[in-house]
Amino acid sequence: MHVSSLLLPVVLLLASAHARADDAEVQRGRAVIERFGCAACHVIPGIRSARGLVGPPLTKLGSRIYIAGILPNTTESLTRWLLDPPAINPGTAMPSVGLDEAQARAAAAYLSTLR
Amino acid sequence: MIKRIALWIVALGAIGTAVGGALVYYGFYDVAATEPHTSIGYYAMHFAMKRSVRARAHDIHLDGLEDRTRIAQGLALFRTHCQQCHGGPGVPPDPFARGLRPLPTNLAQDGREWPANELFWVIKHGVRLTAMPAWEFRLTDGQIVDLTAFLKNMASMTPAQYQAPTVPPTPIMEPALPAHAPDAQKGKFLIAQYMCATCHVIPGVAGADHTVGPPLTGLASRAMVAGSLANTPQNLVRWIRDPQSIRPRSAMPNLGVGETEARDIVAYLATLTDGSP
Repeated sequence: MHVSSLLLPVVLLLASAHARADDAEVQRGRAVIERFGCAACHVIPGIRSARGLVGPPLTKLGSRIYIAGILPNTTESLTRWLLDPPAINPGTAMPSVGLDEAQARAAAAYLSTLR
Repeated sequence: MIKRIALWIVALGAIGTAVGGALVYYGFYDVAATEPHTSIGYYAMHFAMKRSVRARAHDIHLDGLEDRTRIAQGLALFRTHCQQCHGGPGVPPDPFARGLRPLPTNLAQDGREWPANELFWVIKHGVRLTAMPAWEFRLTDGQIVDLTAFLKNMASMTPAQYQAPTVPPTPIMEPALPAHAPDAQKGKFLIAQYMCATCHVIPGVAGADHTVGPPLTGLASRAMVAGSLANTPQNLVRWIRDPQSIRPRSAMPNLGVGETEARDIVAYLATLTDGSP
């Protein structure tokens, strides 16, 4: 038996643990989005009662090229935007809702799943 | 007997559809621009294009095509807007244009052979499935007449005359549409003319399924637009006409939409209420 075939179960185990961690991050993000009232302004697929029509719908946000019409859409830039929108786009109507770094990152992880 | 023939027709139709579908699905048709058309395919499409243009251009009547000022103005316009693809006497097309299929034609010959009204129509409306763009909304009708006048006289021009310095063309675009009350149907048409569909999801517009910018679904029900403006027709017109005046670093470009056109587009967007298809 080749060494790599012995390693395979280990790799799979690690990979699935990693996937579970990602999944947990996404679920935390969903909770953050519900708790911080994003639904008041946005339509957000998968979030109950997120029918707000103040800002744009976040439908397929994970496929969007730009965030806020300015930043290339990466988890990193989305996190920065969620943390402090006026810092990115002075004059934006989107307020800084007081997320901490981990919460913003989790919310960004959830939004990135909307494809 | 008739029943049997009908059955055969249906069966053959079904087989044809299945075979055609399979050829498409498995990518049998080569869309590469380096791949030449078959002769029969090329001439069939060219014939169809000419017939289509003739049928649509017959009630266009142009005057003053021998006017020297018109011809000079048309030459200047040609060198600014057409030479990149078509080349001119002694001037090659730009490198990118040599990769276009169908190839842009040499207009000294087409200019002489095609009737003026048909040249005018092709310049104004462009030809779908070729690289020929519509110049309506880019040039005024008067400028397109200038170009037509130049094309009709191009073959009698020496390369030296063609290449001699000319007056620069007037770059200013007059509004292509006369002022009128905002019209949602015109707006839907204009959305395609100004490339909105290449970046947004816009319900009701074919091909508008892109995620470069936000979806415009339900826009009329939205409280705000552009992240910082109240959703009023005036604000939307301002935003569409000059995004950078509102947000200097916006990725949304200024596409040169005229005031009247912008109002029509906004009238169409106003029909996109939440829950509209």
